[in-house]
Order: sequence, then structure tokens, then C-alpha cells
Amino acid sequence: MDHRLLPTYVLVASCLTLSACGSSGEFSGDLVGTQRTVEVTARKFEYKPSVITVKEGETVVIKLASEDVTHGFYLDGYGEQTTIPPGDIKLVGFTANKTGRFAFRCSETCGHFHPYMIGHLRVLPNRKYYAGVSLVVLLGIGSLAYGRRRREKHRTHLFGVIPLDWRFELTKYRPIRALFKSRWFPLVFILLNFFVFVVILVAGFAGGFSAGNVNFGVMVVWILWWVLLMTIFVPVVGRFWCMACPFPLVGDWLQRGTLGSGGRQKSWGLNKKWPKRFRNLWPVTACFLLSTLFVGFFTVQPFATFVLLALIVIGAIVISLIYEKRTFCLYLCPVSGFQGLYSNFAACEVRVKDPDICKTHTPKTCYLGNEHGYGCPWMELPFDMNRNTYCGLCMECFKTCPHDNMAFNVRPFGTDLLAERRRTDELQNRRGLDEAFKSLTMIGILFAFFLTMQGPYGWLKDMVMAASLGGYGLFLGGYLLLNLGLIPVLFLVVSYLSKKASGNREVPLKKIFVDFSYCLVPLGVARWAAFSLGILLPNGSYLPRVFSDPFSRGWDLFGTAGYQWTPFLTGALPYLQLSLLFVGLAFSLEYGYRFANRIFTTEREATRGWIPMLLFIIALGVFFVWLFEG
Amino acid sequence: MRRQTALNPSLVVLIAMAAVLATIGCSASASQPATVELLARAPEKGNWSPQTIEVEQGQKVTLVIRNVDAVTHGFYLPGLDLTAGEIKAGDVKEITFTPQVAGEYGFYCSVWCSDFHMHMRGKLIVR
Repeated sequence: MDHRLLPTYVLVASCLTLSACGSSGEFSGDLVGTQRTVEVTARKFEYKPSVITVKEGETVVIKLASEDVTHGFYLDGYGEQTTIPPGDIKLVGFTANKTGRFAFRCSETCGHFHPYMIGHLRVLPNRKYYAGVSLVVLLGIGSLAYGRRRREKHRTHLFGVIPLDWRFELTKYRPIRALFKSRWFPLVFILLNFFVFVVILVAGFAGGFSAGNVNFGVMVVWILWWVLLMTIFVPVVGRFWCMACPFPLVGDWLQRGTLGSGGRQKSWGLNKKWPKRFRNLWPVTACFLLSTLFVGFFTVQPFATFVLLALIVIGAIVISLIYEKRTFCLYLCPVSGFQGLYSNFAACEVRVKDPDICKTHTPKTCYLGNEHGYGCPWMELPFDMNRNTYCGLCMECFKTCPHDNMAFNVRPFGTDLLAERRRTDELQNRRGLDEAFKSLTMIGILFAFFLTMQGPYGWLKDMVMAASLGGYGLFLGGYLLLNLGLIPVLFLVVSYLSKKASGNREVPLKKIFVDFSYCLVPLGVARWAAFSLGILLPNGSYLPRVFSDPFSRGWDLFGTAGYQWTPFLTGALPYLQLSLLFVGLAFSLEYGYRFANRIFTTEREATRGWIPMLLFIIALGVFFVWLFEG
Repeated sequence: MRRQTALNPSLVVLIAMAAVLATIGCSASASQPATVELLARAPEKGNWSPQTIEVEQGQKVTLVIRNVDAVTHGFYLPGLDLTAGEIKAGDVKEITFTPQVAGEYGFYCSVWCSDFHMHMRGKLIVR
């Protein structure tokens, strides 16, 4: 294969993809002059037709009728809104002077899936989408051209600009170090969260089968907490949530006999060790995948949220009595897996300041604990830690280190992805197939979540919420096949092509598969953040209401109970989502090329082996641009 | 040196209980003798609850209608010309009245709420 022609191949392949995805299809309704009239009926939880296609500049009239209960209609970007009581026909008219894809949403609570009752208005030509796809392709090809002209500086600098070993130690400021060393930190936040979660559990139980969007439990957990987790906590701080999570509080107390003081206390539990072969992300990946099967229930029904959270709380307590320390958090908590993997991308870390001090310091108080604090509850070896995956930011090592040798650093995004294995790694299986699988399953989970919650397909919503058992079974089968079969196999094929293209016969396929899977992490973090914005911006305005009336008793604690549903910045949503995707893609490409250089022995092999993976990532980027805006 | 921060574990339990008690307490104080709580749900999900309300003639009654369903309902009692209008999911509406004439009065949901909307009816008995 001629090297100079490679970018051309890439370009041709991408153009084919572009034209395939961007096919305009038929326009909706009847056109008289420049006025297009479209009849739309609403029913639980879809509009028919669910996708309306019009041309830029046309005057659009949408005739709305409801088949069952009172529905609503709110059009992102244009701001048109109306309610549709059954038996009425409502008209919405506007001039289609903004191009792109706009969601229209139900604005009257009409059932459990109401917040996710969505249709799409496509005003063609969809320039945002074409621009997005072109940018993804240009970014991909550009990175290749740029990668081949790398100078020495690019080896040590991210994008040739940010030094990979740049660190800014926050704990060099005395008040911050004093805070981290205090027994009350982060305990105060855990207690505060504990109170909030008691309210959530009560609200979930009391709310029963009422609407989720007016329920404190559902709103705070799935709109506020989940979105904060995906957009800020994990991408910026890492396992920030684990630091303040209230679920292990009771377990900690049972194990330690106290909450406040440090030191080794007698445990009430059996203190068993977790089986060695499960000391990885496999169990948490399975737990997460298992819980996502019920996404159609717990994200919309208060009682289902209660059941899920209660199971987690009970699980945490029971496991803490059987196994040692934070075994539950490490190996069983459903949200632990992606937090662990994606926190490698975070811009914060807890690390040793000076490794030489640790070399001579015995015993290792950070692992064993002393009178000032507990040995690492996350069973990390703080003195030898080089990745965020299993660091719960509990700050015990700051308390137990007599030399003040622990540091909380701000760093460039994603440097952990490059971390090599270390001497003590046999204690926990670090980089491996488990993390690769976690990374890959998060693609299919996002795809299903997006189509269910932000897609226009009523039949899919019916399947996910188990309107019929057969439909639900079909969803389960398809979903598991996609996540456990199709995507991993596709990635395996790409890895195999990468091996073939590189010309290197020695390097094991597993190494290529595992190492390259880490370049999906930045794009993964970005697309989850983009997805979360699409949940928060339209639905965030239900929050003021539930804060004032958490149990739907007609209270008005903060005077915000009457706050009406108002979508926030949904017109800017496509730009925000696309920007996030581009940033994620840039990081993925930047790290991916570095992985190629590590997997293969020569620069030439690396460049050739990188091509199939680059194409895969470009295709993935185009796919997500299509999913979000196409 | 051993630092004993005096944090009793039972504090946690206390916080939990306080939250639960606050909920129960607040809801208990809201109910008075002449107050009737009426839950609104579509017929297939439980219908009006209670479906029969008994009140005394000449006594002031406050009906607290809570929509605990996921769709919009309405309340209409034509015999006494009482209406609470639309009650959206999760909303609570109150109407106060003093029935003067004994008898049985039907009340209905006034918003099309399900395929069985026409069955969403109840009875107010004034003795």
C-alpha cells in the first residue's frame, strides 16, 4: 500500500459514509406554494410521524391531535409550544429559517416516559450535520498528517503543547492539605449526602407509580446526579462521587466500629478477601450492564428508583460484613466501573510527591493504616499508584502518611491512559481485557440509551419499558447481542486488520485489542457528557419544583413549587454536543497514535497499524455525529 | 497520639430517622377532621380513592385532591357545582365547601385521562 495515497483512501471512505448517512429522504406532509402542512398525532409516548422533514425557508404548519391523553408540543430552537387535549386539533406554524435537526418534546406530563417523548424536525439541508461530519473526517486525516510530521517535542507534549508530566499540586496550599488531613473531610459531605439520599429513598417509596418528572427521587438521581457525574465529576475530578458517596457509610461504620476516629478497629464483619480472579472490572461491568436492562423502569418510575437504590444500599451493607474494606465499591457497585475507567481521563489525581521517601519508609502506613487513619479502603498501594481506576479519593492516605508525601494534583487530561504496569500490579489486574470490555460496552449502552431517551422511536420506548413481554425480550436480546457480541467482535476485526496492516507478526492480537481500547476512553467520556446535556437542558426545569415539594404533598418549601417546565438552551444543544464530541475525538486520536507507537516496534509499523484503528475512530465519530445531529 | 473525634455512629441513624419523621410529621399535621384526602388515578391504576366520600350536612369540608398518577386528571362534581379544574400529574388541589342538602352526588374526572376515562367516577354522600 502506497503511503502517500493513504489520506486519499481515508477521504474517499469518509465521503461514502457521509453520503450514506446524509440521504435526505422524503419530505413530510403536503406542500402548497411554500407552505408545508404536516398532520401529527400524539400518543403515549411518540408522535406520528416521529420524524418531520422540511426544507429551509418553507412555512411549516403542524396540525396536532392527541390519540389518548393530554399531550404537549415544544419545538427546540424555534420555541413553539402548545398543549394538545384529546379531541382538539392544535396548529403550530413557523418559518423554517434555521436548518438542522430539532427535537420536539411533550410539554404536558402524560405518563412515565413523558420526559423522553420526542420527535425530530429536520430542516434540510442539515448543515450542522454535514459540517460536523466534515470536521470529524478532517480532524482524523489531519491527525495522521500531523502525526507523521512529529518532532521530538510531540513525544513528551500532548498535542505538542502541553507537557505530559505537567502537574500542579493543589495540596501545596496549607489550608487544602489541612482539609484533606482532617478526619471530618470528606465525612461531612458523606453525611450531608446521606441525608439527601434518605429523602430520595422516602420520595421514591412515597412516589410509588406516579410520574417520575415530578418526583424528587427520580429527578435528583437521574437528571441531576447522573448528569453531574457524567459532565463534571468523572471527566474532571475522577471518582469524585466515590469520595462523597453515602452508600458505604453504614458498611464503614460496621467494619470500623466508629465513623470519626482513625486507626485499626475491630471489625464486626468476616473481613474475607475478594477472590483474586475477580479483582478487576469484570464484576462491575456485569453489574452495570445488568442494571441497564431495567433502564426503562428506574429512570422514570419513583418506586423502581427506590428498589434500585435500596438494593445498592443493602448490597453495600451485606458485602461489607462479608468482605474486607471497600470490596463492594471496588468490585460490585454498578456505577463503579465506568467511573473507574473514565477517571483515567480526569484532570485530577492523588499521587506520591517523592517516591524516594516511600522507598525507605516502612511500614507502609498508607496501606496498613495508623492512629491517624485507615489503610487504603480501596486496597490501593498509594505509594506505588499510577492510575486512577481504583482510587476512590477517600483521602485516607493524606491522613496516614507521616511524611506528608501525598499530593492532589491537577494534570493534563488523560495521562493515566499511558500509564505502564508497575511492580505491584499483580495485586490487582490493571490494564487488561476487563477494562477493554468496559470501554466497548459503554458504546452500545450509550447507543441504546440515546435512542430510548432522545430518539423519536415510540416502538423502542415501548420495548424498553416492557409494554409487552415479547418486546422487552426482543430488546434484552438485541441489547446484549450488541454489547457482548457485535461491538467487541467489530473491534476485534479492526484490531486484526491493524495487525495485518502493520506487518508485524510477533505482536499478540490481545495486546492490540486491549491497548487500543484505551483510545476510545476520551471519546467515550465526551459522548456521555454530550448525551447527559441532552437530558439535563430540556428536563432540568423540573428540579425547582421537586426541591420545593419533594413528596408531592402540595408543599412549597422554597417558593419554587409552581415553577413551570422551561427547556433551557436546547437551541444551543447541537453546538454544545458537537463541541464535546470534537474535543473527545481530538484526545482519542492524540492518545491513539501514542498507543500505536507502544504496541508496535518501529515507527513505520505503528503508522501502518494505526490506520485501521484511525478509520474505526473516524467512523465512530461520524456515527455519533449522525446519532446526535443527523 | 490518638485523636478521638467524638462522632457517635448513632448520629447517622438519627439523621435518617429525623428525615422520615419530618415527612410523617408534616403530612400528619396537614390533616384535620373535616379534611378528606382524595387520590386521583386512572381507573386501571386504582381510580378515585376513596371512591365513596361521606360528609355531614352543614359541616365545612376541605377536599385535598392529589394526583398521584402520571397523567392529567380533573375534578367535577356537578350536583354541588364544584370543580377543581385540571390537576396535573403530581399536583395537589384543594376545594372547600359546605354541603347544605343531604343526598348522593356523583363526581367525575373532567380530563380525558385513559381509555377507561369514563369509568373514573366516585360518589359523595351527604348525610
